[in-house]
Amino acid sequence: MPHRLEIALKPELFDAVGEGVRQKAKHYFGVELDEVRTVNVVTIDADLSDDQLKTIQDEIFTNPVTEVSSFAPLDIDFDWIIWVGYRPGVRDNPGSTAIEAIEDILGIKLAKGEAVYTSRRYCVKGSSLTAKDADKIAGELLANDIIQQIKIFAKNGWDSKRGIGYIIPKVKLDHTPTVVSIPIDSDASLQKVSDDRNLALNPNDIPTIRAYFLDKDVRAARKKVDLSDPTDIELEYISQARSDHCNHNTFRGLFNYLDLETGKKEVADNLFKTCIEAPTLALKEEKNWVVSVLWDNAGAGRFDNDHYYVITGETHNSPSNMEAYGGAITGIVGVYRDPLGTGKGSKLVMGSFGYCVGPRDYNGDLKPHLHPRRLLDGVIEGVRDGGNKSGIPTTFGQVLFHPCYLGKCLVFVTAVGIMPAFIDREPAEKKKTSPGDLVIMCGGRVGKDGIHGVTASSETFSEDTPAGHVQIGDPYTQKKMHDFLLEARDEGLIRFITDNGGGGLSSSVGESARFSGGCEIELEKVPLKYEGLDQWEIWVSESQERMTVAVGQQDLDRFLELSKKHAVESTVIGKYTDSGKLHIKYSGKTCAYVDIDLLESGFPQWEFDAQWLSPETRGLFEPVLGAPVDYESLLKSLLSRPNICSKEWIYRQYDHEVQGSSVIKPLVGQDRDVNSDAAVIRPVLGSQKGLAFAQALLPTYSAIDAFHMTSCSIDEAVRRIVAVGGNPDHIGGVDNFCWPNIGYHPEKNPDGRFKAAQLVRSCRALRETCIAYQIPLLSGKDSMYVDGHIPGRYGQTHKVSALETLQFSTISVIDDIKKCITMDSKMPGDLVYILGVTHNELGGSEYYEHLEYIGLNVPHVQAKTFKELYRALSHAMDKELVASAHGIYSGGLGVHLAMVAMGGNLGMQIDLGQVPVVNVDRNDTILFSESAGRFIVTIAPENREPFEKILSGHACSCIGTVTDKADFIIDGFDDKVLINIPVKELKDAWKKPFGGL
Amino acid sequence: MEHYNIVKTLVLTGYGLNCDNETAYAFELAGAKVTRVHINSLIDGSASLDDFKIMVFGGGFSWGDDHGAGVIQAVRMKTNTGESILEFIEKGNLVLGICNGFQTLVNLGLLPGFDNDYKKRSVAITFNDCGRFRNDWVHLKVNQKSNCIFTKGLDKLQFPVRHGEGKFYSDSQTIERLIKNNQVAVRYAMDDGNPAEGRFPFNPNGSLYDIAGICDPTGRIFGMMPHPEALNHFTNHPHWTRIKEKAKREKDDFDSGPTIGISIFKNAVDFIRST
Repeated sequence: MPHRLEIALKPELFDAVGEGVRQKAKHYFGVELDEVRTVNVVTIDADLSDDQLKTIQDEIFTNPVTEVSSFAPLDIDFDWIIWVGYRPGVRDNPGSTAIEAIEDILGIKLAKGEAVYTSRRYCVKGSSLTAKDADKIAGELLANDIIQQIKIFAKNGWDSKRGIGYIIPKVKLDHTPTVVSIPIDSDASLQKVSDDRNLALNPNDIPTIRAYFLDKDVRAARKKVDLSDPTDIELEYISQARSDHCNHNTFRGLFNYLDLETGKKEVADNLFKTCIEAPTLALKEEKNWVVSVLWDNAGAGRFDNDHYYVITGETHNSPSNMEAYGGAITGIVGVYRDPLGTGKGSKLVMGSFGYCVGPRDYNGDLKPHLHPRRLLDGVIEGVRDGGNKSGIPTTFGQVLFHPCYLGKCLVFVTAVGIMPAFIDREPAEKKKTSPGDLVIMCGGRVGKDGIHGVTASSETFSEDTPAGHVQIGDPYTQKKMHDFLLEARDEGLIRFITDNGGGGLSSSVGESARFSGGCEIELEKVPLKYEGLDQWEIWVSESQERMTVAVGQQDLDRFLELSKKHAVESTVIGKYTDSGKLHIKYSGKTCAYVDIDLLESGFPQWEFDAQWLSPETRGLFEPVLGAPVDYESLLKSLLSRPNICSKEWIYRQYDHEVQGSSVIKPLVGQDRDVNSDAAVIRPVLGSQKGLAFAQALLPTYSAIDAFHMTSCSIDEAVRRIVAVGGNPDHIGGVDNFCWPNIGYHPEKNPDGRFKAAQLVRSCRALRETCIAYQIPLLSGKDSMYVDGHIPGRYGQTHKVSALETLQFSTISVIDDIKKCITMDSKMPGDLVYILGVTHNELGGSEYYEHLEYIGLNVPHVQAKTFKELYRALSHAMDKELVASAHGIYSGGLGVHLAMVAMGGNLGMQIDLGQVPVVNVDRNDTILFSESAGRFIVTIAPENREPFEKILSGHACSCIGTVTDKADFIIDGFDDKVLINIPVKELKDAWKKPFGGL
Repeated sequence: MEHYNIVKTLVLTGYGLNCDNETAYAFELAGAKVTRVHINSLIDGSASLDDFKIMVFGGGFSWGDDHGAGVIQAVRMKTNTGESILEFIEKGNLVLGICNGFQTLVNLGLLPGFDNDYKKRSVAITFNDCGRFRNDWVHLKVNQKSNCIFTKGLDKLQFPVRHGEGKFYSDSQTIERLIKNNQVAVRYAMDDGNPAEGRFPFNPNGSLYDIAGICDPTGRIFGMMPHPEALNHFTNHPHWTRIKEKAKREKDDFDSGPTIGISIFKNAVDFIRST
């Protein structure tokens, strides 16, 4: 018989969680509530005695100072009660830790099937609150029906003895695991099976798959293990491995590129090879700091002689779009497994985020599954809990609002780790599996999670089917595993390690077995969350927090001993072989037997038509704008724009100082409130060296040309690194492409060919710019289907495609962190310089967007010229001649001068007439053009001569001074005062939009 | 050869604790010899408190902070380490709790330790009034009348807070008693050293009486929410680039020596050396 413990804060205590709900109800829906009190509910579905219950009530679940609790419903005043609990199969992290604590304190083990579930009851007071309001608060604020269930009680519907009842979200599958053999008599029949089973096989792959299984020799070999036609588990394996997610078919595709204006045709064969791999391998030859690229879970560069850093970036868009918190926490915790699975294992030292969402105050006709405001809140909280509870500092992040992300949001997560250069005198970045090594699965257990990704979301829910497609990451379990695996690594126990992410065991075992040349898996040994999973489900499940490790037979005991010490589950599930086969058995019977190199050959390349129309031919033009008169209001309005204004509320929720390594924080300046250009950490505490990290996102430029979007994003990410003192000759890059579907379809994707051309152009820009800046691409990922179909006012659906988006990340090693620079102005009397040339490049700018234009003149990057300037600035910084340095990014010179002034809380006197320009004769163009390659630098007056000497030959001009009186004064071309406004007023405007959050 | 004044320090690890490396590093800078010890190693006896003089409950998210921050860690240690921690204290050794460690100390009852009772939970550290996790730097003022070993000779401090549950709470009698006993060792303050008086964000969590850290009546057990180990190097300070630039202009030598964060640990090491 289950027991239900209700726990609440004592009435005299302030209920911060309840107050948060009250605030959100007001901000989201304008619903005024008087008070919300929360009751935490722990439902114990276990056979415990009264004494045992009393012990856990007192010792675990009730704080005697602050809380009251009862196994009967607590009597708390309300007008409405809203109860929210998880659906069956959804990860309930506090439920799991409750079991640990109960077993510990009572010295028992819960019996099979016994469990603890947590949920929450909200007691809502609001005299005018209607049933409709309560529904709205429950469904659109407190719960997401994909993962949660709701009960709502009005005052007269509440039974004070019965309470919410006993709700046990237990998974009951009642299913005998079965392997099914799939007939392959024709392409059409296999296609039908693929459709019916959601295999998502590419039609072009089907003949290749059939040919393999119909091959005489293959059939003869299979016969020996009692197999004939392919089994479901085999086809699932092939489908996973051939998916665009795992195989990058798009980037490896053949693009027939046609310039519609000139009629010129070109073929781009394999963008990955030509634009990413080739330049990176060439740079690896030149740059001895490039350690390991293009094959492992993350790329590695040299930090010092004893350490390598590793970096990778991921996206988690579709799941976050469905369930923001769950998707985002799964995303950040997931990307942290990549460095852990790089080389023989790396320690995580830093993370970052990038969110692209619809406008926070969107009130148009479209109805996305989650309103952007709620979606953003959920994503922020998911990455917060995932990062903070992993003990990894989140030191950098960006948020970008644009209506094109209403269809699908973007959630970028990036991870940086560090590994020793050698373990047991063996290179730590290298790893392989050998015949005889054991296949070990560590960490979490396997359930129906993430099977077939989000396609499952269209399935209907029954009361106790697991809500498997949306997951909730568990940083606690993973942190234990992280600590365990690093200790095992340092003892030399790990021969190979990789994570279980997309594709689960199918991908991790399949890929690791290629090194030894085969494997034999005993699938029944895989620990499950609940019984009843089919074999193929165990094989492809994407249940989180798992790593696959190869361990030598002689090291097994020690490995398991360490695993036990760290309270981590590790299970031998098979061994690596050199049989040439992926051989899977279940209780002795073979259910998969395919050649390990099956996936490497014979599959057809994907093909795309790409058609380019220049911006001019598409009808883009420069708007006809007269010069503004009121520059003060204009500047304040720009500072208040969502993509420019302060987002301090987000950064403050992220632990950016854990590990004690913080050098340059996300917020800097006198009041610690202005965004730094980049983050710097000291990942090896005893060292003077640092890692600088930055990212850039400029998708609005894609509305003109994705080529320039790409080169400008790279340039910005480079300048950010240079601004804090990073080394322009050691910059590693990570490319994260998020693109709308590029496959042309006359009805479903009529502009697919244009989007394909944008991708080709973007990749070309990536190659050109990276070669010019000498940036090897240490890692990269692509997410190719950023489109959503969302209902409008009349129930009609609209396809909303994202702008072509590239998040570019940069990382650099700093030799002496004492020479790092922050962007805030430091001392009155300092000279203000601008470096770089300002062109008439307002296309895609914040200024134009503010006035509802796109424009045509998108900024261009002259990488060769820029790089020389960056080297000169870096040299001046190395000589400690620079007091502050800040890149000029979105919003232009005016906005970024204001940032420097706001950082220092000091004034500025600027003369726009001194700004180096080409073909610019207007104040608004100088102030708001987003030309690339520019910096604002302040220096002490006595450094003028040496500074200018180092910068001689480059575009560099003193444009004013830092002033003691905190007024921001800008004189225009004609020497008239354009702007004269207190810095505080600018800061207020900049902070106002999200200041209340 | 073991030198007579080697101060052996134990820093707990495991189960989601995450500040163990930098805390160990900070103690090493302060002169201690540090071992990071997994909670389970203390429980299974492969490590023993007998070998140590200072025990550190560091920051992190033990058991994910589920069911109250520090609660399950306290339950696990209380259930499985028997009287060994109490014996450790009786020997005159030192115990430090930082953030999640402070939360654990109050749930174990090691703090406030009134009347020599080191098992009673009489204070709580609960959810921030602001409703969520917050990472920001705070000013702290040391109570000069407190006999806290760790804060001896220190006055104004600046460290980061990084917590979602940092509000120090108890009934008014208990708070009064802590004040009267001078067990309130550090309080959240304004930059001039005056008490924050509850003002956000100077008092970042709504702690009663601006309490940031307390010690037991002996001064040998100390817990605080802010993170001194996060100021283990001058570049950890949020204003370091400003401080450095100012010093350069005034032709001052820029002090890049041990930070005020290390002083907290050095006080502990010096105390053990002197006993």
